Amino acid sequence: MAPNAARSTKAKQKLQDESREESLQAIVLADVFETRFKPFTFERPRCLLPLANTPLIEYTLDFLASAGVRDVFICCGQHADQVEEYINNSRWKLSSSPFQTLLLLKSPATSVGDVMRDLDGRDLITRDFLLVSGDVVSNIALESILDKHRARREMDKNAIMTMVLREFGLEHRIKSKRRKPIFVIDPKTERCLHYEEIGPKSVSSRYVGMDAKLLKEHGELEIRGDLVDCFIDICTPDVLGLWSDNFDYRTLRRSFLHGVLKDHELNGKTIYAAIASDQYAARVRDLKAYDVVSRNILGRCTYPLCPDSNLVSGQNYRFQEGNIYKEDGLSIARTSIVKQKVVLGRRTSIKDRSLIVNSTIGRSCQIGSDVHVSGSYIWDNVQIGDGTKIHRAVVASGARIGKNCSICPGTLISFGVYLADGTNVSGVHHIKPMRGKYQENNAQDEASQIDETTDAALQLSSSDDDSTASSLLGTSPSRPNSQSLTELSMSQFSESDSDFEPLPETSRRSSLRSDLSWESAPNRDFLVEATADILDALQNGVSPENISLELVSLRMKEDASQHQVRHAVVTAFMRRVSNLMGEDGQSGLSPNEAVTEVFTKNKEVIKRTLFDQSREAKDDQVDLLMLIQKDAAGRSRGESLLVFIAKELYDLELVEEDGIMQWWEDDRSKSGEMKKVRVLTEPLIDFLQNAEEESDDESEEDGDE
Amino acid sequence: MPSAALVTPSLETFLESIEAVKASDADDVDYSIQHLVSLLKRRQIRNSRSCAIATAHLLSLVVSKHQVTDIARLIKRVQEVGQKLTDAQPKELAVGNIVRRVLGVIRDEAEEDREGEESIHDEAEGESPLSPKEVEVSSIEQQARSAPSLTSRPLQHGAISSEDLSTSNERLPNTKDDTSSQNRALNLSPPLFAAGTSQPLLKSMFSLLSHPVSSSSTPTVTPGTQTPEDPPSHSIHALVGGSAARDLRAEVVEAIEEIIEELNTADDQIAGYALDHVHSNEIILTYTASVTVQKFLLKAAAKRKFTVIHAESYPNEHESVHATVTGSLKGNSSGTGPDRFHRSLTTAGITVILIPDSAVFALMSRVNKVILGTHAVLANGSLVAAAGSRSIAKAASMHKTPVVVLSAVYKLSPIYPFSNDALIEYGDTSKMFSNEDADLIEKVEVDNPLYDYVPSELIDLYITNL
Repeated sequence: MAPNAARSTKAKQKLQDESREESLQAIVLADVFETRFKPFTFERPRCLLPLANTPLIEYTLDFLASAGVRDVFICCGQHADQVEEYINNSRWKLSSSPFQTLLLLKSPATSVGDVMRDLDGRDLITRDFLLVSGDVVSNIALESILDKHRARREMDKNAIMTMVLREFGLEHRIKSKRRKPIFVIDPKTERCLHYEEIGPKSVSSRYVGMDAKLLKEHGELEIRGDLVDCFIDICTPDVLGLWSDNFDYRTLRRSFLHGVLKDHELNGKTIYAAIASDQYAARVRDLKAYDVVSRNILGRCTYPLCPDSNLVSGQNYRFQEGNIYKEDGLSIARTSIVKQKVVLGRRTSIKDRSLIVNSTIGRSCQIGSDVHVSGSYIWDNVQIGDGTKIHRAVVASGARIGKNCSICPGTLISFGVYLADGTNVSGVHHIKPMRGKYQENNAQDEASQIDETTDAALQLSSSDDDSTASSLLGTSPSRPNSQSLTELSMSQFSESDSDFEPLPETSRRSSLRSDLSWESAPNRDFLVEATADILDALQNGVSPENISLELVSLRMKEDASQHQVRHAVVTAFMRRVSNLMGEDGQSGLSPNEAVTEVFTKNKEVIKRTLFDQSREAKDDQVDLLMLIQKDAAGRSRGESLLVFIAKELYDLELVEEDGIMQWWEDDRSKSGEMKKVRVLTEPLIDFLQNAEEESDDESEEDGDE
Repeated sequence: MPSAALVTPSLETFLESIEAVKASDADDVDYSIQHLVSLLKRRQIRNSRSCAIATAHLLSLVVSKHQVTDIARLIKRVQEVGQKLTDAQPKELAVGNIVRRVLGVIRDEAEEDREGEESIHDEAEGESPLSPKEVEVSSIEQQARSAPSLTSRPLQHGAISSEDLSTSNERLPNTKDDTSSQNRALNLSPPLFAAGTSQPLLKSMFSLLSHPVSSSSTPTVTPGTQTPEDPPSHSIHALVGGSAARDLRAEVVEAIEEIIEELNTADDQIAGYALDHVHSNEIILTYTASVTVQKFLLKAAAKRKFTVIHAESYPNEHESVHATVTGSLKGNSSGTGPDRFHRSLTTAGITVILIPDSAVFALMSRVNKVILGTHAVLANGSLVAAAGSRSIAKAASMHKTPVVVLSAVYKLSPIYPFSNDALIEYGDTSKMFSNEDADLIEKVEVDNPLYDYVPSELIDLYITNL
C-alpha cells in the first residue's frame, strides 16, 4: 500500500504543480477604505451597492471569472458580515462556481496597506496574483497583458507589477475631477517611471515633480493624464513583501506606487503599465463614476456585462430597443412612458402618466401616477407617491417618498428614509435616518405616521422607537434647527458637488462652500487624528521611528503641511508632558523630568519635522518654538515648561542657537499672553547670547593664532 | 517561484473540461452544465457553430452520466438541461436546435425499446390519437419520401415548435402512451431544400436523423426503410430492464457523436455544392468572415476563376474580414473545432476586392450573385444574420441579383419571428465611436445590433449540408 500511496501523493503533487502553473490568484479589495459613498456606506458596504440592479462585486467577480482566475480572496473591511452573507448565498459558492477557492478574509484593517500586510502574513499568495478593487467593472481580456507581464518577469525579477490602465479621451466623464493621476511612462518599455496625483484646485499642485535623472536615462517619456486607473494590477508576491517592508504605506497609488517608483534607486523594483485602448474598464470610484458607469452599462459599452446577460442567477432581464431592460412581473400603465436607458426590476409597478427616462429602478418599487423620474437611481422597494419629481438623485432601498415631492439634482436619500408629502428638497442634500439602522420590518409600522405629521419640512425617521423616530428636521439651510443635517452635509458638500454635477445655479453656490471645506476640513481632521495617534504612541511607548513613519503616512494621506505636522507633534508632546506631571501638577514628575522623559526619548520625531538646519533663516525651528510657547501659554506652570523644553531642545541639538534667537526676536512671541509665558526663559537666552559671544571670541582668537 | 498563467475560458477549455469529467468517475455533470451556462452568458462561447458543438458535447455527457434507467426520466433530464441552456442565451438558436435533435434521437431509441411494451399497451395507444399537427407532419414526411430528388421546398421545420422543449414536460407522466406519437413528430427529417442533393448522402442522413422503427428484431440501430404509414410492429422482443436502458444510453451517445461529426463536416459538405453554384468569371459579393462561405468559395476556386467582392462588415467583424482577405486569419480564434481553413482566396488565385459596406449598392449592378452566411434560419425562412445583411439582400433584390444563403442544418430553427427584440442581440456600443468621443454616448443614442432580420422574400436559395 505504501508505495501506492506515495505514488498517488506524487501524482497529486504533480497535479497541484500543474494547476499552480496555470492559474492566477486574485485578491479583491472589497473595502477600499474610502468614504465616497456616504451616506449609503453607513449601512451597506460599497461592493454590495447595486449598479444597474446588480451588486457591484458581481461585476468584479465576473470579470475575474471571465479572465479564467481560479482562486479568489476577498478582503473585507467594513460590514464584513454583510459581504460574507452575500457571498455565501451567491452563485460563487456553489459547486458550479468557476472559482476553486473563494476565501473571505476579514481583518480589522484601516487601510489598504494594512490589508496587504495582513495578507503577507497569511502566506496565502504563492504566485503572481491579480489585485483588483471590489468595484471594478471591466471586460478587458487579460491574456495578452499577462503574457507580457510574464515575459518581463522572466527577464527581470524586479518587474514586480503591471497596472492595467484604460485610455480615455482627455475630458472623459469617468475621470475624477478632484485628483488626476499623472503617469510618466516610457513608451518603449511600457515602464511606469513616476506617478503623481494633481489636484484641480490649487495652482501649486498643478506641477509634477520628476527626478531629472529620468530625462537623462530615457530617450522618450510620455506624461499622461488621460489614463483612467482601473485598479487592476498584476502583481508578483514580492509586492506583498514591499508592503510589509514599508509599513507606512496606506494607499495603493499615492503611497505604494509613488513610493516604490521613487525608491527605484534603492530597491531596483520596476512597475509597468499596460495601456488598453479598447474594451471597457472602470472603477466605480465615487458617485460620479457610479453615474457614468451605470450609463455605460445600460448603453452596452460593457457588453457582455449588461443586464440582459442575466449573469446573476435569478435575474431575467430582457432587452428592448432603446436600451430598455425589463425583468418580468412588471406592471406598467399604458399611459406611462419609459424611454432611453432604463432598467426596471421585477414586480415594479408604474402608474398612469409617469415618465421614466435614463434611470435605474430596482425590484418591487411602486411608482405612483404623474411621477417624473429622470437620470436617477432608485434601488429596491422604493415607494414614490403621485406627482413627485425626481431628477438626478439616488434613492436607496426601502425609502418612501410622499406625494408631490420634488427632489433636486445631487440629492442622496439613504436606506429607509421617509419623506412626507409635498417635501421639496432643493440643493444638494444627503438624507439619512437620524440614528440607528434601517430595519425593514419596523418600516412597515411607521408607514401610517407620515401622513399625519405632514409639514412643509422634511421628515427623517429612524426606526428604533416611535418617540425619537419622528424627529422633524427642516432641510432648508436657513432654518436653524437643521443643524445636524447641515453639519452632516457640510462635510460632504464638496464631494457631492464634484461627484454629481448639480444644476448650474446650485453648483455655483455650493462650489464656493466646497472650496472652503476643501482647504480646511481635511487638515483639521489631520490635526485631530495625528495628535491622537502620537499621544497614543507616546503612552504605549512606541519607538520614535514608528511614530514618525506613521506621521509621514498620515501626512501623505491628508496632504497636510509641515506646519501642521509640527503642530500635531507639539500638541501631543505637551499633553503627554502634562499627563506625566499629573493632574494638579504635583503628584507626577517634575516639569524637568517630564520634559526630559518625553523629548529626549522621542527626539527623532521632532528632528524629522525640522528641515532648516543648514539654512540661514530657521523658520521651522521658530515655528516649532512658537507652537510650544503658544501651547505652554495655555497650561499651568507653562513658564517653567517652556524653559525646560527650550533647554532640552537646545541640548538635544534639535534647535540651534540661531533658531532660538530668531524665535526670541520674533514679534509674535513678544505679545500679550506669549510674553508672560516666556519670562522664565529669559536667563536661558542671556546664557545663550553670552555663550555665543564667547564662542565668537574664541573663534576670533583661533583665527588670530 | 511558479509563474501563473491565465487561460481565458473558451470553447476549447470547455471541451477539455468535458473530456476530463467524462474520464473521471465523479458525477460532475452539474458543474459542466453551469460551466456552459456561464460561458454562454458571458459570451465566451458564441457563434452558432461553437454553441452547437458545446451543446452537443454537454448533452452527450449528460446522457452518458445519467444514472437512472428510465427513459422518460432521461428525456426529462435532457429537457431540463436544454431549458437551462436556452434560457442562458436565448439568442443563440443553435443551442435549442441541438437539444431538439438530441431529444429526437432519444425518442427514436426509446421507440425501439418500447415496441415490446406496446403490444401490452395496445389499447392505450388508441387513447392518444395523433394531433392534427402530427398528422400533417406525417404527411409531409410522406411527401419527402415520395420525392427523393428534393428540390427547393419551403421550410417545414417549424412544425415542431419549441413546445417540444417546454410543454412536453406536462405530458411526461403518461409518456408511455404518448411518446410513440411524439416520436413520429420528431422523426421528421430536417428540411432539405438544396438543389442537387445527391442520393447516397440523402439516405445516410435519413438514417441519422430518423432512426426508423425497425421491423427487424435486433435492438441495434440499423437504418431501414420505414415509411410513416407502416404500423409499428408489435410482435418482437420486449426489451425491458437495466441492460436495455444502458444499451440505449450508449446508443444515444453514439448518435450524439454522429451529430457532432455532422457539425464538424457541415461546412465541407456545403462546400461540396460550390461548383454547382459558382461559375467562371462571375462576380460574387459576400459579407462577414463566415468560414462556411470562405470554404465554399475556396472549393470553387480550385476549378474556376471568379471575382469576390468582400464587404468589410464594420464595426463588429471588420477585423476578421480584413484578416480573412489578407490571409492572416489564424485557425479561428473562437475555436470552431478542427478547422483547416488557413488559405486565403487570394492565394488560390482569386481576385478579392474589399469594399466598405456603404459601397454595396453602387457595386451591386455588377454583381452576379450574393453569397451570405447566416446566424440562424427561422421557421418562415427568414434569416437572423450579421447586421448589414438585410441591406445587402435588399440591394440585391433591387437589382434582381440572386441571393444564396449557406446554412448548415443546425442553424435551421423552428422559432417563428414574432418580435425582433427576442432575436436580435445588441453588442458593444463602444465599437461605434473612438475613445475621444466617449462623451457622445451621453448625448446620442448609440446602438450596435449584431444581427439583422432578413425576410425570406429577399432570399433566393438556401444551401444546406444535406
